[in-house]
Amino acid sequence: MRNGNADDEIIRLASVSFHYEDKHVLDQVNLELFRGDFVGIVGPNGSGKSTLMKLILGLLTPTAGRILLFGQPQERFRDWSKVGYVAQQAAHGAGGFPATVREVVSSGLVGKLGLFRRLKPADREKVAAVVERVGLADKLDKRIGSLSGGQLQRVFIARALVADPELLILDEPTVGVDQESIEQFYELLRSLKDEHKMTMMIVSHDVGMMTQWVNKVACLQHTLHLHSKHEFEHHQEEILQVMYGDTVRVLAHHH
Amino acid sequence: MIADWFHYDFLRYTLLSGVLIGVICPLLGTFLVVRRLSMMADGLSHVTLSGVAAGMLLSKNVAFLGAVNPLFFGMIFSVIGSLFIERLRKLYKSQQDLAIPIILSGGLGLFTVLVSMADGFTTDLYSYLFGNIVTVTKEDMFALIGVAVFVIGTVLAIYKELFAVSFDEEFARVSGVARKFINFWFIVLVALTIAASMRIVGVLLISAMITLPVASSLQIAKSFRQTIFYAILFAEISVLVGLYFAYLLDWASGGTIVLVAVLLLLGVLASKKLKRIWN
Repeated sequence: MRNGNADDEIIRLASVSFHYEDKHVLDQVNLELFRGDFVGIVGPNGSGKSTLMKLILGLLTPTAGRILLFGQPQERFRDWSKVGYVAQQAAHGAGGFPATVREVVSSGLVGKLGLFRRLKPADREKVAAVVERVGLADKLDKRIGSLSGGQLQRVFIARALVADPELLILDEPTVGVDQESIEQFYELLRSLKDEHKMTMMIVSHDVGMMTQWVNKVACLQHTLHLHSKHEFEHHQEEILQVMYGDTVRVLAHHH
Repeated sequence: MIADWFHYDFLRYTLLSGVLIGVICPLLGTFLVVRRLSMMADGLSHVTLSGVAAGMLLSKNVAFLGAVNPLFFGMIFSVIGSLFIERLRKLYKSQQDLAIPIILSGGLGLFTVLVSMADGFTTDLYSYLFGNIVTVTKEDMFALIGVAVFVIGTVLAIYKELFAVSFDEEFARVSGVARKFINFWFIVLVALTIAASMRIVGVLLISAMITLPVASSLQIAKSFRQTIFYAILFAEISVLVGLYFAYLLDWASGGTIVLVAVLLLLGVLASKKLKRIWN
C-alpha cells in the first residue's frame, strides 16, 4: 500500500550530479516536488537550469544520483504523456515549417496514442479546445508561419497541454513574447494549476515577473536550494546577490 | 503518337513506373525537405549506383548471379548506406551535414573502381546515370510497384509519428514517440525509393525529383497535408509532360522530367509575384 503522500510526489531528485568531461554542471542536487507545486527556477546563465530540465526529461543521463518521476525510477518510466514540455526557443525557426496550428497541436497527442492509432473525433475536439484555451481559436487552420512570436509560443504550450500532462516543464517560455502576452501566459498557468492540480516547473530569466506567480523558488548555481515563495521574497536581495554577484541588479515588479 | 504508349510494352512500363515515382518521390521528399535532409537523396543515389555496378560486375563474373537484376544490389547498398548515414550523423553531431558528402564520395569512389574493374558495361550505365525511357524492363516495373506499395502503406501507417518527428524531434522523443523506430523505417523507405526510381530519373537527377516538386508546393500549400498533395501533383505533371517530350524529341527522360519540374517551380514563383503586384 502506498500512502497518499507518496502518490503525490511528482519529482524526486536524490543527489543528482551531472558533468561534462571536465566541467561540473550540477553537483548533488536534491529536489522534491509534489502535486500542484509551481516552482520557478532561478539562476545565472550557465548555472545548469536547462541541464536540470533535460535530466528530468531524460534527454540527458545523470553522472550520479537518482531521479524518480511519479514514484518510478526515471530509466524505467514510460508514461511520458504525463509530462508536457515547452523547450527553450521551441518557436525559434519553426515558423517556416509548412504546418497549421491544428497539425502542430495534434502532434502533441502522437506519443500518447501510440503507433498505428489514428486521432479519433474526441481527440480532434480536444485539439480545438486546447487551441481555444490558449486564445488562438481563429488561427486553428492557419499556417504557423503567419503567427507572431507570442502566438507561436502559445501553440507550443497548447501542444504540451493537449495530452493532459500532470507535470508541465517550461524552459524560458516567454523569450521574445510581449509583456501583455506574458501576463496572460502566467494567468493561464495559474488556472491550469488551480483547475487540474498540475505540477509546473518553469525556468525564466525574468525573475521578478516569474516569482510573483510561483509558490516555490529553486535557486540553482550548480547546487540547488528550494525556498518557499514567502522565504524567497523575504530574502530576495541577499539570495540574488549571492547568485548573481554585486554587478547585477534584479528588477522586481511591483503592481 | 499517344497510341504508341498503349501499343508498346516498354512505354507502358515506363508510364506506370513514372506515375509511381511521381507519388513516392515527393511523398518522402516532403519529409526530407522539412527535415533539411534533401541532400540525403543525392548521397544515397551514388551509393545505389555503386551497388548497381557491383551487381553488374557480379552477374558478369558469377554465373548463377547472372539472372539477378543489378537494381537488387543497388537496393541493398542503398539501405546499408542509409543506415551508415544515420550512424555518421550521430558521430558528427555538430556537423551533421558532413555525413552526406562522406557517403556520396565514398559511393562514387566505389562506383568508379567497380566500373574500371569490369572495364565494359558502359552501355547500360548511361541509363542509370541519366535515366532512359526505353530501358525500363518488366522486372524494373514490378520492383517499383512492390516498393511503391510498401512506401505508401508504411507512410500511411506511421504518418502521425513521421510528422511529429519531422516537426520537432526533441519534443517527439520527450512525449514518448518511438523516434528511433520511425527514423529507421523512414530512412529505409528513402533508400528503397531511390533505388527503384533510378531507371527513369537517373542517379544524378533523383534528388531533383525528390526536392523540386516540394519546393514548388511549399510556396502555395496551407498545411502539411497540402504540401504533400501539391508536391505529388507537381511531380505527376512533371513526369507525364516530361516523358511525353522525352519520347517525342528523343531526349533523356530524367533530364526532361526535371526540366519540366524546374519550369513548374519558376511558374509558381512568377505567379506568386504577379499576384502580389496585382494586389
